[in-house]
Amino acid sequence: MNPKGIDTLASLTTDVSHSGKVSPEKIDAESPQPFHFKERHGSSSAFLGSTEREILILSTIIKVLLFPAYRSTDFEVHRNWLAITHSLPLSKWYYDTTSEWTLDYPPFFAYFEYVLSIPASLIDPKIVDLKNLRYDAWSVIAYQRTTVIITELVLGAALLRFIRGAVDPSSQRIISISLFLHPGFLIVDHIHFQYNGFMFGILLWSILAARNGNKPLCGLLFAILLNFKHIYMYIAPAYFIYLLRTYCMTPNGRPNLPNFLSLANAVVVVFIFSLGPFVLLGQLNQLLSRLFPFKRGLNHAYWAPNAWALTTALDRVLLRYVTISGADIAVNITAVSSTSRGQIGDTVFAVLPNIKPVHTFAITLSFQIVFLLKLWFVPTYKSFLTALTLCGYASFMFGWHVHEKAVLLILVPLSLLAADSHALYRTYLIVTVAGVYGLFPLLFTHAETFIKIAYSLIWGFMCLGPLNRSTYEFPSTFPSVVLDRLEKIYIAGFGVLQITVWLIDASGKASLAFLPLLVTSVYCSLGLSWGFVRLSYLYFRKT
Amino acid sequence: MPGFYSAGFESIYRCFTGSSEVSQSEIHAPVPRRHHLLQTESQKWMYTPSISPGSSRPVSPTMAHDRLSRHPQLSFSALLEQPAGQKRVVDEQCGWARKWVRWMHRSGMRGWVIPVSMVGAAWIKWLVSLGGYSGFNTPPMFGDYEAQRHWLEITIHLPLRQWYTYDLPYWGLDYPPLTAYHSWLCGKIGSWIEPSWFALDVSRGYESEDSKTFMRATVLLSDILVYFPAVFLFVKRFLRHRSGRTQHVALLSLLLQPAVILIDSGHFQYNSVMLGFALLALDSLVVSSDLTAAVFFVLSLAFKQMALYYAPAIGSYLLGKCLFLGPHHGRSLFFRLAATTILTVLLLFLPWLSPAAIRNPLSRIFPFNRGLFEDKVANFWCASDVVVKWRRWLGAPGLVRLSTIFTAAGFAPMVWGLLYGAWSAAERTRGDNKKQDKKRVQISCPTLVVIPYALLTSSLSFFLFSFQVHEKSVLLPLMPATLLISGAESGGVGEDWEWGILFNNVAVFSMWPLLKKDGLGLQYVAVTLLWNRAIGYSPLNVKSGAVIRVLSLSSYGAILALHIAETVVTPPARYPDLFPVLNVLISAAVFGCTWLWSIKRGAEIGWALAGPPRPRDREPKASSVGRRSVHKMSVEENT
Repeated sequence: MNPKGIDTLASLTTDVSHSGKVSPEKIDAESPQPFHFKERHGSSSAFLGSTEREILILSTIIKVLLFPAYRSTDFEVHRNWLAITHSLPLSKWYYDTTSEWTLDYPPFFAYFEYVLSIPASLIDPKIVDLKNLRYDAWSVIAYQRTTVIITELVLGAALLRFIRGAVDPSSQRIISISLFLHPGFLIVDHIHFQYNGFMFGILLWSILAARNGNKPLCGLLFAILLNFKHIYMYIAPAYFIYLLRTYCMTPNGRPNLPNFLSLANAVVVVFIFSLGPFVLLGQLNQLLSRLFPFKRGLNHAYWAPNAWALTTALDRVLLRYVTISGADIAVNITAVSSTSRGQIGDTVFAVLPNIKPVHTFAITLSFQIVFLLKLWFVPTYKSFLTALTLCGYASFMFGWHVHEKAVLLILVPLSLLAADSHALYRTYLIVTVAGVYGLFPLLFTHAETFIKIAYSLIWGFMCLGPLNRSTYEFPSTFPSVVLDRLEKIYIAGFGVLQITVWLIDASGKASLAFLPLLVTSVYCSLGLSWGFVRLSYLYFRKT
Repeated sequence: MPGFYSAGFESIYRCFTGSSEVSQSEIHAPVPRRHHLLQTESQKWMYTPSISPGSSRPVSPTMAHDRLSRHPQLSFSALLEQPAGQKRVVDEQCGWARKWVRWMHRSGMRGWVIPVSMVGAAWIKWLVSLGGYSGFNTPPMFGDYEAQRHWLEITIHLPLRQWYTYDLPYWGLDYPPLTAYHSWLCGKIGSWIEPSWFALDVSRGYESEDSKTFMRATVLLSDILVYFPAVFLFVKRFLRHRSGRTQHVALLSLLLQPAVILIDSGHFQYNSVMLGFALLALDSLVVSSDLTAAVFFVLSLAFKQMALYYAPAIGSYLLGKCLFLGPHHGRSLFFRLAATTILTVLLLFLPWLSPAAIRNPLSRIFPFNRGLFEDKVANFWCASDVVVKWRRWLGAPGLVRLSTIFTAAGFAPMVWGLLYGAWSAAERTRGDNKKQDKKRVQISCPTLVVIPYALLTSSLSFFLFSFQVHEKSVLLPLMPATLLISGAESGGVGEDWEWGILFNNVAVFSMWPLLKKDGLGLQYVAVTLLWNRAIGYSPLNVKSGAVIRVLSLSSYGAILALHIAETVVTPPARYPDLFPVLNVLISAAVFGCTWLWSIKRGAEIGWALAGPPRPRDREPKASSVGRRSVHKMSVEENT
């Protein structure tokens, strides 16, 4: 018996249970694809296929070779957290200010750091010394980098499970591999230094539970994730609506109280474990003030490629226009003098009206409500996945002080949709290219330039090519042909963009130092905005 | 491709002569003959190039029309392919390189395999170069990195005449002129970017992130410009009888060879340029452009004098070619080769051509005033030094003489084999008409098949027995060994695959003390593992041959034990060099066995080539029309 076949059947039946019917495209997807990872599950290992084992080994080798690569201050941030959690009692974790990099992640992440600090103290006690700021011995680099690689196995395991029960295992295999080897993770986790792989692993595990119809597990895992890193609040509304509609209510709209209570209990227990100790210590306010610092500006140092980057750029252009033409428009004088050249701090617009946190909040929420309404009426797994992506997307596009790294919140769930149709694949392609390129400025050192570009290119060829071929549809109408061309030109434009960035860099003028970042940010945000429009359109047209 | 249309001795016969010598009778009334794939007997004798059973490549008429098939001959890789009927490597056991290539071919991305492999290999090399380098932050002398940086500095600031004389104790230039010109070019570019990196005298010991990135980039770029094309041409020319997949896998296994990556991108040197030029010379030999080969080989020699290790093999082959061509054409080729070589050397040494000036580079390049070996080298002298104190016995001049005799004795069988093979081939195929002699000019000498083994024998005898050897020089014998792996398969004929990999792995191990000093321990493990996984090698899985199996298991066991002991035990104060010496003993033993094996393989193949007698009854009388019709017919037979 073929275990894959059983899994496929099982996933089909679960699909039936929550969507009510099997859509014809799903049956189509069962037909053989023009390409396959021909996998012969031999006797060697029942747990990992040989291809998966090779990929695991190969990727680990690559990540190990990246040990000596550039690392950002986030590395010291995490080392400091190891020191805080190891050498201070729980009650002082969120009060310590020995280093400027104070603990500002939710309690589960602090517990996680505490667990990691135990082996660290055995390997080299200097790692967990609170006073030993900016410690960069080989021991701490190797240790922290290794923890990233090991905890990322959560992601690998979740992705593996995705293949086993997929409707179309061959496409899902490519998607899973592409996610495990995603340049985003390589850049942000293995070079820049963070633990996104681990946390997206939990997110994917939760999404997997949703696909397999295990709603309580889905909710529970997401609650846990939320207590690891609060950035996932961006997508919480989609979870809330989806679980409320499909688990806490019967299909005909009546509340299902037992289900609701069990889910609520699970979530509450998670929060008790996480926040409970700090509530008892009376530190909840301190904790929340650490988690949500509203004193930052609209844009991050390097403008994340979102709507505000476009607005800020537009403001700069208008200002230039006003000063040159002398048009009679009121100009904010403070903004002219302090045109924040990428400094952290408040972005003040010279011509356009200023943006306050409440504005960004209102815009984000109104977009999310529209998507959630759709989810409410079509609460299938695919619809949930799209709504989840779009919620993250809206927050990224219009949120206050968004980091460029938050783009992973779009790229990861969107990847799961990539093989569904050619239109979705095209959206995925544009968003991925723009999003990954938008991460490039994180690594500004010359030695890493070749690493990020070559890796992204190879990854793109290996992963996007097969997906393109498996979903390809010929553009049939005139507008779609034009669109197809424009999108291709946009993608090709990244080559020109990179050359422009190099040329500006090579000119070495200090006054142009911020220009490459600005150009990159604006160009990427064009693509990401278009991707947002595309995905929203597809969401409302399809299903 | 002779192997495709005929079998047995005739195929050998035709290999030597080209497809011209087919008797008329055969054209008019072809003898019905079984398809060559079914004639296993012939394959057992010669392992003629066959369509690999697992190949996706169709046998098509277009194959016969590629540029190279106009010079039909045996390629050494033909000897390595498995005979039909033997069990193929099971899917589970093949490395990721083959799996990936297979997947790419099936997904319709065949055309992307080579570019992606090249970018990927360059990427891996760049990852390794993020690590430490020789002499990092160790004043006052630093290490090889500083030596190279210093040469960039002196070549751009000093007139040519002073290059080999300027402040010699501080890393004086001791490589031939091409290295100096290369340094000058890199230095010019570098000082255009940032002059302070290479300011004369002031910049000694200069280390910064950006200057390191620049220096690393020069290594990688030189590698990409010379070594990558050389490997590509090797795969396209030497392995042209093989399936596209095998060619692609071979490309990957050559580009990811761990020792070159670790020394060039890790420790910091430009060996791949020398190796690349030598390989380009080999590539030219295949298409019978002997003069080009001579130029490339001189370039290789002029980049690093260590390429001399290859000289006996290349020289004997070319001499053999002259013998093969017969008195008239042979003499002409000999003089042309001599003229080309001398001219190239003169051009390269042009600035130092006065008798007074030439002494400077020469005495720097051949330092007989230095010791028998430096540090610890896994060769005969250093290994036997544990028991026999050679230096005390003989003194420097005696040692120079003795090491020269040993080295020459080491490669003598190979030289004899190449010359005799060529001569006997010429004897057997010598026809009475001049047209046919002329034909031979266009094909390479049949001894080409042996050349990787010959290169291995000759470079290993230099490495094991010659004077003043560095541990890094093991890269030279490693190249032919890796060429052999690239065309061979696990459990294949002659155990080339197993020997080549064992040699490669032990060679990487022999450089461990060096890499450890450079802080490249992590890269040492990672790159070696990467390459072994790529080709799908596991020491526990060596199937063929009792000798190689026992040798592999024992040497890997010893290596593992030594690595474990090194982390656990601190060496006693009396023997601070205990671990390096043990390392030398293990490695030298394996190198010695590899050397003997290479002689044995060379002899086997040489015998197979020279063995069959010439079929006297078939005198060649083919006209050009007849040739063409035979050609056509054989193509049909194949389809």
